[in-house]
Amino acid sequence: MNDNILDIQNLNVHFSTFDGLFSAVNNVSLALKKNESIGIIGESGCGKSTLSFSIMGYLAKNAQVDGSILFKGEELLGKSEKELEPYRGNRIAMVFQNPYSSLNPSLTIGFQLDEVSMHHQKLSKKEARAATLQALEMMNLGDAKGIVRRYPHQISGGIQQRICIAMALLCKPDLLILDEPTTALDVTTEAVILESISKLKESLNMSLIYISHDIGVINKVAQQIVVMYNGEIVEQGPKKEIFENPKHPYTRALINCMPRGGVVKEKTKLNTIAGYVKRRGANEGGCPFSDRCEKKNEVCEGQYGIKEVSPRHLAACDRAYATDIPDVFAAKLAPLKRQERKQEEEQENLLQIKDLHKVYGTRRKVYAVNGVEFAVKPHSVLGIVGESGCGKSTTGHMISGLYKPSKGNILFRDTDISLSWNKRDKETLKNIQLIFQNPGRSLNPSHTVERIIGRAMQKLANITDEKERRARIIEILKKVDLGVEYLQKKPSQLSGGEQQRVAIARALSISPSLIVCDEPTSALDVSVQASVLNLLNDLQIDTHVAYVFISHDLNVINYLCDYIMVMYAGKIVEYGKRDEVMENLHHPYTEALLSAVPEVDPTKQKKPVDLQGQLPDPAKKIQGCPFAGRCHKQLGSICEKEFPPMVQLSDDHYYYCHIKK
Amino acid sequence: MKYFLYQLKKNPLAIVGIAIIVFWLFAAFIGPSMMSFTHTQIDADHQMARPGTNGHLLGTDSLGRDILSRIVYGSRSILTVALLTSIFSTIIGILLGFSAGYFGQKIDALFLRTMDILMAIPPLVLSMVVLGILGDSSILSLTIIVSIAFVPATARVSRGVLLTEKSQEYVMAARIRGESHLYIMFIEILPNTTGPIIVEATARFAYSIMMVASLGFLGVGLQPPTPDWGMMVIENKPIIDQAPWTVLFPALAIASLVIAISIFSDFVSKVLVHER
Repeated sequence: MNDNILDIQNLNVHFSTFDGLFSAVNNVSLALKKNESIGIIGESGCGKSTLSFSIMGYLAKNAQVDGSILFKGEELLGKSEKELEPYRGNRIAMVFQNPYSSLNPSLTIGFQLDEVSMHHQKLSKKEARAATLQALEMMNLGDAKGIVRRYPHQISGGIQQRICIAMALLCKPDLLILDEPTTALDVTTEAVILESISKLKESLNMSLIYISHDIGVINKVAQQIVVMYNGEIVEQGPKKEIFENPKHPYTRALINCMPRGGVVKEKTKLNTIAGYVKRRGANEGGCPFSDRCEKKNEVCEGQYGIKEVSPRHLAACDRAYATDIPDVFAAKLAPLKRQERKQEEEQENLLQIKDLHKVYGTRRKVYAVNGVEFAVKPHSVLGIVGESGCGKSTTGHMISGLYKPSKGNILFRDTDISLSWNKRDKETLKNIQLIFQNPGRSLNPSHTVERIIGRAMQKLANITDEKERRARIIEILKKVDLGVEYLQKKPSQLSGGEQQRVAIARALSISPSLIVCDEPTSALDVSVQASVLNLLNDLQIDTHVAYVFISHDLNVINYLCDYIMVMYAGKIVEYGKRDEVMENLHHPYTEALLSAVPEVDPTKQKKPVDLQGQLPDPAKKIQGCPFAGRCHKQLGSICEKEFPPMVQLSDDHYYYCHIKK
Repeated sequence: MKYFLYQLKKNPLAIVGIAIIVFWLFAAFIGPSMMSFTHTQIDADHQMARPGTNGHLLGTDSLGRDILSRIVYGSRSILTVALLTSIFSTIIGILLGFSAGYFGQKIDALFLRTMDILMAIPPLVLSMVVLGILGDSSILSLTIIVSIAFVPATARVSRGVLLTEKSQEYVMAARIRGESHLYIMFIEILPNTTGPIIVEATARFAYSIMMVASLGFLGVGLQPPTPDWGMMVIENKPIIDQAPWTVLFPALAIASLVIAISIFSDFVSKVLVHER
């Protein structure tokens, strides 16, 4: 008992709101040993963050907490703000999801970090600065002396988050809580941060709680895994046990619904979890997962308890579920819908992009897209992948007509449509649809589902008769697995997944030829993402629509797309058929990107390519290879001075690099 | 509605505010018919009667006119002008602010500079000058002038809320659906901005009461014999030491109504934030 840094027992957190009391954390018991790292995983709304906030005493005023949280044997619950002060930031530190809002924009980085050690450790200004520089160097931030003089806005998001971690480490805390620290960052940055967290944990002798919705990330940093569902711990145990021998249906479902390397649409449908996390009232009995569980029976409604499966491995499911399927990764995935894909090779292009440029701003120019050329074949899916700021969304928006290209042409079935929306004709507007990243914002909050879908039909498909329109809307809702009862609902009454389904229904309702999907699943939980991807795939088979699918997630792209285009700094770095790109990597950037993707399967761990440096400044025109500054295979000055030649590998696989095969 | 009642329970002050507003609305609608004196009737025997004497609940002024019936009758005109003003200035504000914010660039720049110029002149001074030149203040002219004086403020608020909504993805979706500008502005965006606009309109309601009372006090408000709260205060100022009630009650009427509406406006914004 005594080597436990943190000991949480029977913790309950209820929030009293207008809709009544609801339970956010329910009867959670958890112990964290010294030098141990626990990964807490679960979908949004499962109480992960509430749990960590209750450790720090950061809960809102309407929270009712009971139970016990012992930190090194001392009770934290019930302590006043003043009594908590020696703990917060000093012995228990926390890093939040969004570094932009964690740092004060009007103070220099150095000042903010010095403050921490001056306050908690009563260091002098000079000593504090020395400690600050040391902490920044620990995080592998090269130019620490330069960074302390800068303000947060002068620094990129990835470095800001590393600064936040350095700040948390300043007082050498016993416990570090990281709440989704890399969710808002690019995969390549994420990989770097995860590496340094693992290293620091070893050298600093601290315990770690890492919260994430991404199993791959948890896999990289945690030794113990806690799976939470709807405020309760449904399973916990050592990482190996959880991954190789998961007992709870939710854990299994969660691991299974991640699209992971090697899973492609031709072979399998993704596993999904029906339904969504429902808000629970206080004192609601039964298994919280029972309403979504495939293996549900009468037992689930009644009393159940968390039971030991093997030493330190606990699961809150009554049945010896594990005997059904011994290995999750060999688990049989759902059978496939018919796949009759036509051979597209011979057909002419649906969409052709020629030397497309987009420059934003007049005085201070931002070169967002710098000459991209590609084609989209009918009935095919082109995936555009790249880090944020690489111009992938801008390209998608230009195709759909939100912005007019600065230079270059967009040819749709050989007609030039490089115009903005107000100059395009009805037929073009109808043929090219756009699905946005955030379904909550892309549906008008004050219109009903019927009106949202109906308006598109009325405007672009010329269906003016109200009765006919309603019939069509019901039909299209059925296609996206929504019932008639959704007609009169407003977006705020729908869950994120349902909202995205409505957005998909809106796009499909007028039978377009091409749908540009701009990160349609990145705002959704993994289980919902899987069902949306399945839906997009099914609909494509049914309607023969083509997709331009924009995503930062290579696993998703790999699953859904026929062609992959990798973009960097507004340029194409590699283009080709999915299998060719994924199996024979040619461009160093593609390689780095793939190596950074967190792997779900613990047996397939790989070392990420260590990408140094920053994205090139978008305000400058790039002469040489845009990736030269960060490339791990850089050849020398030729990369910086000359734009690399196109290396054609096959008819439709090429990349731009000075390195020749 | 359920949430409205829930918040009401938590805010006893809001209940007081709403009660005062309801009281004044009653006074305006059916008050005058309940009075035993009319607002112009002169009780020559009881000039400057103390409150509660000779059937004058709030006393009489120097001419012997009943203070209570003058206040009650005056609530009609002040509420009418204030209500119309807040409606008109909000509508004009939406039209101007939305078009400026939506089209942006040169139109927006022109709008902003014009509003800056108008805002440089205090609304009270502007109304005073215009009313002074016209020399005739009716309910209609008062409404029009005060509305115009308030437009810069309401237009700026409308422009601001439009700008936050304009960048939302549902607006982009409407654009690439080929919707007209008018459709996007008033059918897509407007319903999502009602919260801040309603809050602004209720706040304007309180401001207009202050404004009408101030104009009355300055002598350019509604002309006698229409009783006007502001005018009652200034009329009776010379006799404040002999008959303080003649000034106190109209002043209380103005203050209670303005404060009540302000409380209500705060409360409405609290409720509407939840709706979003």
